[in-house]
Amino acid sequence: MFRCNVVNKFVPGLLSTPLKQSDVRGISSSATLLKHVQAARYKTSKRGDKPLTYEMAGPPHTIAHQKSWNSWNTANMLDGLRPSETAVEDEFMRRFLRGTWHNLFLSEIIIKRNHNIIRIAGIVERSIHPRKMYFLIGYTEELLSFWLQCPVKLELQTVESRKDVVFKYI
Amino acid sequence: MNVSQLVHKFSRCSPLLLSSSYFHSHSIRLQQVLDSSSKSLENENPQDEEFRVFVIPGHNSVQVKRQERKRQKFKVQPPRYLKMPVDQDWTSVWPGQRTFHPAVVPLPLRQGYDPKRVAPSKFANAELMKIPNFLHLTPPAIKKHCNAIQKFCTAWPQGLETEIQMEKHFPITVITNDYCHSSPTIRDVKARIVTVKLKLSCLELDDHARDKFLRLVGQRYNPKTDELIIVTDRCPLRKQNYDYSMYVLTALFHESWTFEEWEKEKSVLDMEYYEWKQHPSYQSYLKIKAFPSNDTSKIEQELDQDPATNKYSKAVSDLFNQGEDPYTIARYKEATLEVLLGQKTA
Repeated sequence: MFRCNVVNKFVPGLLSTPLKQSDVRGISSSATLLKHVQAARYKTSKRGDKPLTYEMAGPPHTIAHQKSWNSWNTANMLDGLRPSETAVEDEFMRRFLRGTWHNLFLSEIIIKRNHNIIRIAGIVERSIHPRKMYFLIGYTEELLSFWLQCPVKLELQTVESRKDVVFKYI
Repeated sequence: MNVSQLVHKFSRCSPLLLSSSYFHSHSIRLQQVLDSSSKSLENENPQDEEFRVFVIPGHNSVQVKRQERKRQKFKVQPPRYLKMPVDQDWTSVWPGQRTFHPAVVPLPLRQGYDPKRVAPSKFANAELMKIPNFLHLTPPAIKKHCNAIQKFCTAWPQGLETEIQMEKHFPITVITNDYCHSSPTIRDVKARIVTVKLKLSCLELDDHARDKFLRLVGQRYNPKTDELIIVTDRCPLRKQNYDYSMYVLTALFHESWTFEEWEKEKSVLDMEYYEWKQHPSYQSYLKIKAFPSNDTSKIEQELDQDPATNKYSKAVSDLFNQGEDPYTIARYKEATLEVLLGQKTA
């Protein structure tokens, strides 16, 4: 309403009918609105003991500068094939692994594709018996390669405890 | 315990507190109990007569702590690189493409950015696992690979050592592209495109055929490099496109050699460049040369060998084809003086 009044005040003869609220569009010329970006940023805890991995510590604009991508493929390059299918498959694999390796993955799940091979990498906690871990590796590879109809390899690294992957506490 | 006591007992029981045996048919059961002797009733456990206590959480109950999953610790071998000899065969340790593993690679690598401390080490470092590594493509590995596939190679043909020889024997260059994607499909529509390159000088064409050929190919000919480039992509398969481009090339060549009836109708005005011998300037030149006599046919045969005539012909053609500029005007002046006055200027 303020803007309508201002327009009507300074250019009275210009408008035959009074402006409605929806007719006026404001232009934001201030940079302050971009200050409160929250996506992929973590809030600090009161005690300052929230653990962050290296991946979590870097906001998205540090990708390709301080950290790299979690999905490696040629689908999103210029004239790449199957970009949407690749994205959906990656999300499916991530969800399947998070559920199958329950509470075991300490890093993001890294999916790298070469030709028709999918290689999944990540850091896993050593909290279950090695025998179970070997079973899970075979189970995951078998099921995923059956669903996606291509060879899937799991290339994992194990760590002693969760504290090994902590980069900083906030 | 008599029957009246029993009845009293059941009447006090709410349906919820009935045990499972009473639940489905308690009226029948009651009948049975009433009929039976008091002997069986005496054996009942006295505790069953007590009421179940209503549990109020936090008031009359003890919270049972949820048992947490035991975090087991499993012994692991020390990193593999500590056991590896210095002069080992690396190609057998890392034979193919694989994600980085800190326990295998005996290098003190670091990856990541930390403004306050030193960069994170290779252990538990996801950044090192993301980036593609070339640990399977060390020089010894490539050498091994080359040695393995050497038996499939044939010797380079003799007489094709230089570029000139190659161009002479294989004047046509065919360019196709294969695409490798990180996806389950090996098809790419762009693989169908076929580019054929050749130098126009390798085709046998006379003046008319060359002129017609260039008119037919249009923009596909590059006069600076004398190169003809034909790109075909209209068919769905590469083989079809290649066949089509070869057909086009053959058709162009033979079509440019044919002389159609209507091509004779081309007059001097239709010429796209200045041809001295077709213009009146040539006739007057002949008359001047054969001045005392009127018979120009004799001189005409000798003219081709005359250097002064050739020079004049070139000067006149250049004057019209390249346009008037100080250089062509000067050449024209020189040639004219030489022809008319026999003066030779340096």
